[in-house]
Formats: sequence, C-alpha cells, structure tokens
Amino acid sequence: MFKKKIALLTLSAVMTGMLAGCGGGAEKAAGGETAEAAAAKPDKKIVIKYWYAFGDKIEEAKQHMVQTFNESQDKIEVVAEHQGNYDDLHAKVQAAFAAGDAPAVTDLEIASTGVFAHSGMLEDLTSYAEKDKDQLKLDDFIPGLMGNAYVDDKLYGLPFMRSTPIMYKNVTMLKDAGLDPSGPKTWDEFEQYSKVLKEKGKLGMTVPVDIWFYEALVAQSGGTMLSEDGKKATFNDAAGVAPVDFWKRLVNEGLIKMPVGDEAGDTADKDWANQISAFKFASTAGVAQSLEIAKGNGFELETAFMPANKDYGVPTGGCQLVMTSKSSAEEKAAAWEFMKWMTSQENTIYQHKHVGYLPTRTSAVESEELKEHFTQYPQYKVAVDQLKYARPRPMENGYPEVAKIVRDAIQKAIIDPKTTPQQALDEAAAKSDKLLGK
Amino acid sequence: MTVWERLRPYSMVAPAIIVFAMFFIYPIFYMMYLSLFDWNFVSPTKTFVGIQNFVDLLSEPDFRQVLSNTTLYTVLTVTLTTGLSLFMAIWLNRSGFFYGLVQGAIFSPHIISLVSISLLWSWLMDPEYGLLNWVIGLFGFGKLEWLSHPSTSLISLVIVAVWKGLGYNTLVFIAGLQSIPQDIYEAASLDRSRPWTTFTRLILPMLSPTIFFLVIINLIGSFQVFETIAIMTQGGPVNSTNTLVYYIYEAGFRFFKIGYASAAGVILLFIVGILTIVYFRLLSSRVHYR
Repeated sequence: MFKKKIALLTLSAVMTGMLAGCGGGAEKAAGGETAEAAAAKPDKKIVIKYWYAFGDKIEEAKQHMVQTFNESQDKIEVVAEHQGNYDDLHAKVQAAFAAGDAPAVTDLEIASTGVFAHSGMLEDLTSYAEKDKDQLKLDDFIPGLMGNAYVDDKLYGLPFMRSTPIMYKNVTMLKDAGLDPSGPKTWDEFEQYSKVLKEKGKLGMTVPVDIWFYEALVAQSGGTMLSEDGKKATFNDAAGVAPVDFWKRLVNEGLIKMPVGDEAGDTADKDWANQISAFKFASTAGVAQSLEIAKGNGFELETAFMPANKDYGVPTGGCQLVMTSKSSAEEKAAAWEFMKWMTSQENTIYQHKHVGYLPTRTSAVESEELKEHFTQYPQYKVAVDQLKYARPRPMENGYPEVAKIVRDAIQKAIIDPKTTPQQALDEAAAKSDKLLGK
Repeated sequence: MTVWERLRPYSMVAPAIIVFAMFFIYPIFYMMYLSLFDWNFVSPTKTFVGIQNFVDLLSEPDFRQVLSNTTLYTVLTVTLTTGLSLFMAIWLNRSGFFYGLVQGAIFSPHIISLVSISLLWSWLMDPEYGLLNWVIGLFGFGKLEWLSHPSTSLISLVIVAVWKGLGYNTLVFIAGLQSIPQDIYEAASLDRSRPWTTFTRLILPMLSPTIFFLVIINLIGSFQVFETIAIMTQGGPVNSTNTLVYYIYEAGFRFFKIGYASAAGVILLFIVGILTIVYFRLLSSRVHYR
C-alpha cells in the first residue's frame, strides 16, 4: 500500500512537471539561442549579433548588407541570424534579453518600439545621434518615417526596412473587363470595379483580416485607432466601423473574399497571383517579388494608393534597427557603427531596389539612381508618394494585444451574420480600454 | 556502515534529482511566485499584485473559452485516438504482408516531426487550394472551411492529432493483445464465447492496463497541445482553437504579460494535478493487474 502511494506521488509529480514544464518552461526555452561561434577567436575583432526577421528577398538583402559591412572593415564582425517573423523575433529577443544573451542589434517592428523602450530593453540613441550628427544626418530621414522612432522624445530606432501598404492591380484583368486601369481611386469606385469584375466571374480582391490594412481604412475614413493619450480605444467610432461595414457588405455581395485563419494572407496572394482577384493590398516590400510573379504569369502589374474614403491614408510599417541596452560599451560602439552602415543612403537605395521597401532618406529619393529607377519601374514609386498620407502606428504597451482583439472582432463580424460591426467593435473597445487604461 | 555506504545511494540518484529540481521543481515554484506579480520579464521593476492576475483570468471570457476549447479538444482526441487504435489493433493483430504494411503505414506519422505534419496538413486543409477539398469536390460535395471557420477549426486539429497518434497507440495495443496468454482464448472458445463477449469480458479486462496507460499518455499530450496550434491556427479564427498552453505562450511572449501567463500556468498545473490524482484513484481500482 505504502509503495503504491509513493508511486502515485512520484507519478503525479512527474506528470504535473511535464505539463508545467511546458507552461513555465516555455518561458525559459527560447533563451538558449547562443551562437557566438566566433567569440572564442583570439584576435581583437569585436563580434556582435544582429537578429532579423523574414526570408526570401528580404533575407538576401540583409545578408548581403551584413556581408559587405564585414568585408568593409576589420574591427567588427557582425553575425546575422534569422529569427522568423516579427512576432517570433520579438519573443526571442525578449527571452534572450531576460537570459542576458540579447543580440546587440535587432530588427524591431515599429509598433513594438513603445513596449521595448518602456521595458528598458533598448539603448537611448539620442546622444549617439548627437555625437555623429554630421555623418548620420538624422534630418535626411523622411520625416513621415520618424514617428515611431521616438518614445517619450528619446530616439530609439533608425528607420530601416520601412513600408506602407499599397494596392497592387492586375491591369490586364482590368482592361479585359473594360475598366479604366488608372482607377479605382475611392471606395465607391472600388465597389463599382468589383461589381464589373464579378460579372466576369472574378473577384475584386481577396484580403485577409489584417490589423495593418484595417488601420489604413480607418485612416481613410478620418478616424484613429486610439485616443490621443493612448488610454482609450476609438476604433468603435463611426470612422472605425465604416471599414468593417464596407468589408462585410462587399463580402456578402460576393465582390471580395475575406478568408480568415492562419493561411489567409497566403490565400490572398495566391488568388491575386492566379488572377482570381484583380487587386491585393500588400506591403510595398512585395514589389520586387510581385513584379516577378506578374511577369511569370503573363499579366501587367501596376501599383496604386489604397483607395480613399474621405481621404487617402495609410499607416507606415516595417522595422527599424534598435540597439539593446545590456551590451558592453565596446559592443554598443560596434553596434552603432553597424546601424549607421545599414541605414546609409547607399544601403537604403540598395534594399529598396532589391526588395521594394521604402527608401528611408530624402537624399536617396532625390538621387539620380532612384529617379532613373522610378521612371523605369513606376511601381516602386507609389509607396514613396503615398507617404504624404502616412501616419505612425500606435505604440502603447498594450497595443499588440489590442491588435489581436480587434482582429478577432472583425473576423467575428464578417463570419457571423448575427454580429454587426458596431457590436463587435464595441465589445473589442471595452476589452481594449481595460488594457490601455493600465 | 561507513559514511560512504550510507551516502552512496543518494550520490547515485543525485544527478537525476538535481536535473529534476532545476528543470521541473524550480520553474514550478518560480512560476507560482511570478503569478503574484505584474511584470513583463525584462523591466527592472516587478509590481506585486497579489491574486489580481487570477481574478483577471477567471473573469476573462476568453480564458473560459480557452478552458472549454482545451477540454473539448482533449476529450475528443483521447476518445477518438484510443477507440480507433483499439479497433485497428484488433484488426491488425495477425501476421501477413498486408497487415504489416498497414501497420507500418499508420505508424509512420509518429516518427515525423509535428512541425512538418502541421505544415503538411495546413496545405491539405487549405479551403481553396487544398487536396482534401479537391477530393471532397470529386464526390460532388461543397467545400469545407477546415481551419478557416470557428465551427470546424477545432475538430480539424483533432483530426491531425488522431492521425498522428493512431500508429503509436495501435502498436502499443497490439503489444498488449499479444501479451494476453493464448490459453485464455482457448478456454473462451471451449466455452463457445461469442466474439463480442470475448471482446468485452476477456480482451478489454486483460487490456485494461494498456488502455489505462494510453489514456493517461494521450490525456497529457492533448492537454499540452501547442505546435499544431502555433503553426496552423495561432489560436484563431476568433479564438476558436486557443488552448491553455498556447494561451500561456501568447500572454507571455506576444503580449509580455509574464505574471498573467504564470497565473494561467498555475491553473494548468492545478487542473492537471487534480486530473492525475482522480485518474489514479478511479482507474487503479478498475484496472486488472496480473
């Protein structure tokens, strides 16, 4: 009997341990990313880690720039490591920071700058920028991209691979349907176009429920996501409900498709690539790739501003480069050199041409090289022009969770015939207020 | 007895105990400690909030949905996996090339990484371009939404889990069946026992230790479900596939609420602790031991 009890106790301890290991242990797990292979080298080269997000052309460009940097001098060696998408990257940086093993430099999606800065994870770059102002030329960065670089008036990031969402158009499809390929410029026109396309057995657009696109449509309707002080949700105002009403109506009429779920973004890309839908919303980061797809599938591609409701409007997006705060002084100096290199005029032109992200510097936009490039490929220029209408993303600590709440609410409003957009967003706003009020 | 002789057994188990303490005991207590704070894991200040995290959790409708999702997922996965694999085991418990082939085929998912499986099934279940909907279409049925609709997403994940677990469970059941002494069968057939009676009065009781083992293992596995959710649905759409462990991960690493996540972890620990004890109490009395 006694033996059995012991066995019972041990077994239950082991089992709860196994389970708890997954809950509590997961917090530890990601900390083990040590890849300082070069740290043991005896020479004086300073080795720093740089973590980045995304693969394909984006990774190519980042790796190329790092390699060029490493070859350009013999004091600093940057080890670049791929960490998945922005969410994965953020989670890993956070865990690595807690474990005392954070990379010296990392990409950081702009809306998360607030959380990271408030947590003391980021180095204040104000004095670095002041010291190096002649070389850095902070004024040269396009002002519309600096909104997310400052937290509480301190500089925390340098604009790196920045973007806005734009509209990609299959011009061949529009022409076949007898539509003017220079439109649609407004929501109403977009609806008209979609009706015509539907008659041809096509779709206007396949679009995932994405917080970034929603932010854009709210801006186009003249609204904001949050109140000025960031303590209250305002997306349940008329300007925030309008996009969801619009989407829901168009979905119900079969003019657009809004897949939900994890694959929704891929579905949207595939529908557009396979010429099922004529338009797609996507980051300007996809221009280079989309041009290849259009060429491969034999259709003509143009890009345009996202259609206007009251006015044009988009959030900016993408990532900036930040420095973590716990590195040694030596590493920080090296990190700063690296960050300046990565955001230089030359490199911002390179990454723009290779991927499609915005050129971040005014001098780059005005350079002969890009002027020529824009004449040849006007598809790249749209995002730059659209910056006039761009605004920063909210950076409140609770915003990542608010974004999820809003996404769920929109999905619910679109899937469930019984839930009106106003109801869904009111519910989401009540939840968000609790988070933001803290 | 010398001192060494007295210490020797302890020194022998010390490595295991130390590892166990470091990676299981310490995290559990640290998690309990953290559950009383409002903290984001990196900021220098932890704010003590007492049981506020638990109050928040239990008053959060999303968390209640997470609990019911987890329960539903676990119940469905455990019953389906155990039931189906028992059926398969009885069918496959004979020799012959064909049976060996089937056994090998259904076992193969067990050795494939769950991440690959998740990606594979994401493609199979794609509502527009997936193979499953294409096959269904051949028979003239409409498209299923699979993972893309709250009403079918959880059951889709259950299907993947059952498919993955079937082979292993069947293998264990076959081993269990083969360990039943032949003479009992002979006695049963002498008594002209009908197949159904043989199954319920002979096979099931003799197999009960195996069933018990598999139920517990599957229960733990299902409660821990994470990879498929992280890769295939991220808890969506509209929270319909969010389960406890993923919820904990999301709170901790997506939203940087470590205290809140730890509180959810404590609740998980509590539920599983209770479940384990109940299971042992309840089932140990009914399990046939030889």
